[in-house]
Amino acid sequence: MSRRPPRGEYIETDTGNKVARKATLVGTQNIMLGGKTVIQPEVMIRGDLIRTIQASSQSASGAPPNNTAVSIGRYCFLSRGCCLRPPGRLYKGTFTYMPLRMGDHVFVGPGSVIQAASVGSHVHIGTNVVVGEFAIIKDYVRILDGTVVPPNMVIPSLSIVAGQPARLIGEVPEGGHEAFELRDLYKTVGNNPQPAPS
Amino acid sequence: MAALTPYTYIQCPCSDSSTLGRSSGPNSPTGSEGDEDDRTFDPRAPRSNYSLYPLEYLLYCEDCHQIRCPRCVSEEIVTYYCPNCLFEVPSSTIKSEGNRCTRSCFQCPICIGPLAVTSVETKPDPGLLAATDNTAAPHSGPYALTCSYCNWSSTEVGIKFDKPNSIHAQLAKLRNGGTTRLTAKERKERRKDPSYRSQAAATTGSEGGAGPGKEEKLDLETQFANLKSFYQRQLADPNSADTGLASLSDLGFSSPTSLSRIMSIYTGGSLQDKKAKSRVGAMREALESDEGLQIADLDESAAIDKLQTDGHDGTASTAQLLDQIPNLGEAHLHGRSRFLSELRPIPYLLRAKRSKRCPVCRHIISKPEAKIQTTRFRIRLVAGSYIPSLAIRPLSLSSASSTSSSGASVPGALLEPLKPTHFLLTFRNPIFDTIKVTLGAPAKTPGRFPSKVTVLCPEFEIDANTDVWDEALKDSGERERERERERRARRGGFEESTTTSSSNNHNNNNNNNAQNQLEVGKIWERGRNWVSIVVEVVPPSLKLGDSTGDGGGVLREDEDVLEIPMFVRVEWESEGGGDEVAVAARDTSGGSKEAREKRELAYWCVLGLGRIRRS
Repeated sequence: MSRRPPRGEYIETDTGNKVARKATLVGTQNIMLGGKTVIQPEVMIRGDLIRTIQASSQSASGAPPNNTAVSIGRYCFLSRGCCLRPPGRLYKGTFTYMPLRMGDHVFVGPGSVIQAASVGSHVHIGTNVVVGEFAIIKDYVRILDGTVVPPNMVIPSLSIVAGQPARLIGEVPEGGHEAFELRDLYKTVGNNPQPAPS
Repeated sequence: MAALTPYTYIQCPCSDSSTLGRSSGPNSPTGSEGDEDDRTFDPRAPRSNYSLYPLEYLLYCEDCHQIRCPRCVSEEIVTYYCPNCLFEVPSSTIKSEGNRCTRSCFQCPICIGPLAVTSVETKPDPGLLAATDNTAAPHSGPYALTCSYCNWSSTEVGIKFDKPNSIHAQLAKLRNGGTTRLTAKERKERRKDPSYRSQAAATTGSEGGAGPGKEEKLDLETQFANLKSFYQRQLADPNSADTGLASLSDLGFSSPTSLSRIMSIYTGGSLQDKKAKSRVGAMREALESDEGLQIADLDESAAIDKLQTDGHDGTASTAQLLDQIPNLGEAHLHGRSRFLSELRPIPYLLRAKRSKRCPVCRHIISKPEAKIQTTRFRIRLVAGSYIPSLAIRPLSLSSASSTSSSGASVPGALLEPLKPTHFLLTFRNPIFDTIKVTLGAPAKTPGRFPSKVTVLCPEFEIDANTDVWDEALKDSGERERERERERRARRGGFEESTTTSSSNNHNNNNNNNAQNQLEVGKIWERGRNWVSIVVEVVPPSLKLGDSTGDGGGVLREDEDVLEIPMFVRVEWESEGGGDEVAVAARDTSGGSKEAREKRELAYWCVLGLGRIRRS
């Protein structure tokens, strides 16, 4: 990150999102970005996996008002090679996808696959983590590298989880809340990045 | 070998007396001006593990003006909640139901993954669930708990549920295999009910078993209840009819009186003491299942057969057994369940939000909001907002210095033995007063492989942390300055090398004279509320041959990690009573209210710089 990337590697939107040109965003109309979010190269977001049941019922009535597949808050950081994929399940006999919601200041490490139903704010997801379908991750959660969060798991606030399957290994200390802030990290990437403050 | 990112651990003063007193050796701390008791702290001492914490884990008591670590605070529970359903559990429920979630939150007994309630698609066993089949709606059917991580299902232990909700209550009535288990209330009713008793007697009678082996099979709870009531009866009427004559007539094992009688024969009547006799004679042991007698089932051939067929994989691990909650399983008299096929779903253990108090002055130093959904804190006095934070960064003098420094400039790179390496320590002042920092580090780190340490600037001042609003208003200018600083930092090697080039060049010729390399006593860089200084270390060579003392030839775990103990003394003047930092006067130093008060805080910390390359 210290090396200056070639100009124009990122598309910077009006709301401050920095989206790498080499990121794979499928179904962009179903992906909501809150702003100031960084999407690094080789990230995949599956916006095409929208809820099929709702879409079929609403397609007759015109444009569906809400078929967001992935919604991402502010100051999120999606590292290289991670994948956001809405979870899917059988609902009343038919298979449908459900939206994936992500709060603010969520860091997703390289190579991680997120299929959670919701990810809260101030969440740090490490490298090569798998978050199973319909997992619910609350605020201020740290998921260490290589963790496999099983489907349907609920991770309460201020937890540190690790392992395969994930289990609670600790609590985020009182003084550790500020470490989840991603404002500084946001500034370090983009077309004219600033180095991280020491 | 995992790369090691530089770290700073701070020693909580709560362990001062113990750790400092047993410090490793006669290493005299040369540079520790602030250390009155002339002892250096050994980060490798076995006790150090328990007193060193990262800054984030430390709290700060405003009244005692002291650091508090997780080990020395006292905790109080604010709320209990289930980590799965995130419902608050009132403490009255905790008392009656225990510390487990009584909703439908269960963990897989095999892999501890969460269990989900799913309907069983397959046709259920008609013998077991005939009744439920008739009543249930065609779509719902019976339900089971399934783990979506390891595909375990409660049907494997023969547990199915009629309803998808209140699983906990349903599970409490079910044994493995689907047979019902009596609740305490039902047991009591059944015991009272004479019709059931006679019926039970009839069945045992019809089986023709007069012997104890054919007694009614009791489950654990019933047996306990029976035994308890039996003994209570025994205690209640010590001279009941069956103590005297019955014991004389049958001379069985069951009666302690027979034992005492025999004993009295052989010991010459010393036990014939009247009091003792009456007391001993009062009790006898349980004789029938009604009284709680349960013949031990010592026939383990079934378990052995199972072990032969399933092998070791079929047995439950210790961790799995520990997760099991007692008194619910099949386990009887002899041990717990030993096979995977006997494990039951684990109700989630509850979690708690806790507030923390200072152990000395009892003031609350951390208190979370009682509501489960919020992550806010009412009180949160973290050490990070009172004592300077310390960041470590390898410093590369790439243009001027030798190749060793450039190797260390990559974070996590191995340190070359015997080559001076520089690290930049950045102290950041969180409080609104200018602080004076005095550092002390031993010239040689303790341990078998001492590194030479030189703090180039052991005494400096850090400017106050200006107000948040000032910062916000000055944001653009500040950012500009920051950027400029960063630019300078990036080119730091060049710039600084020009200023110190003479000494560097001089130093390249004679590396031994490390003192002269950078300007001693000068701050490397300073900013609004931070100061960077340089520490030079000469890592030792990890040669094992010449090591003396115990454990000679083997490099112990993490012995190649370069750790520097450093004594930090922070002094500052704060306004008496005005500032939140200075609410109470410290010791006797508190003068008049208007006068600025002198404060000081001193503690040991440990800087982990990196691993040394093994030669």
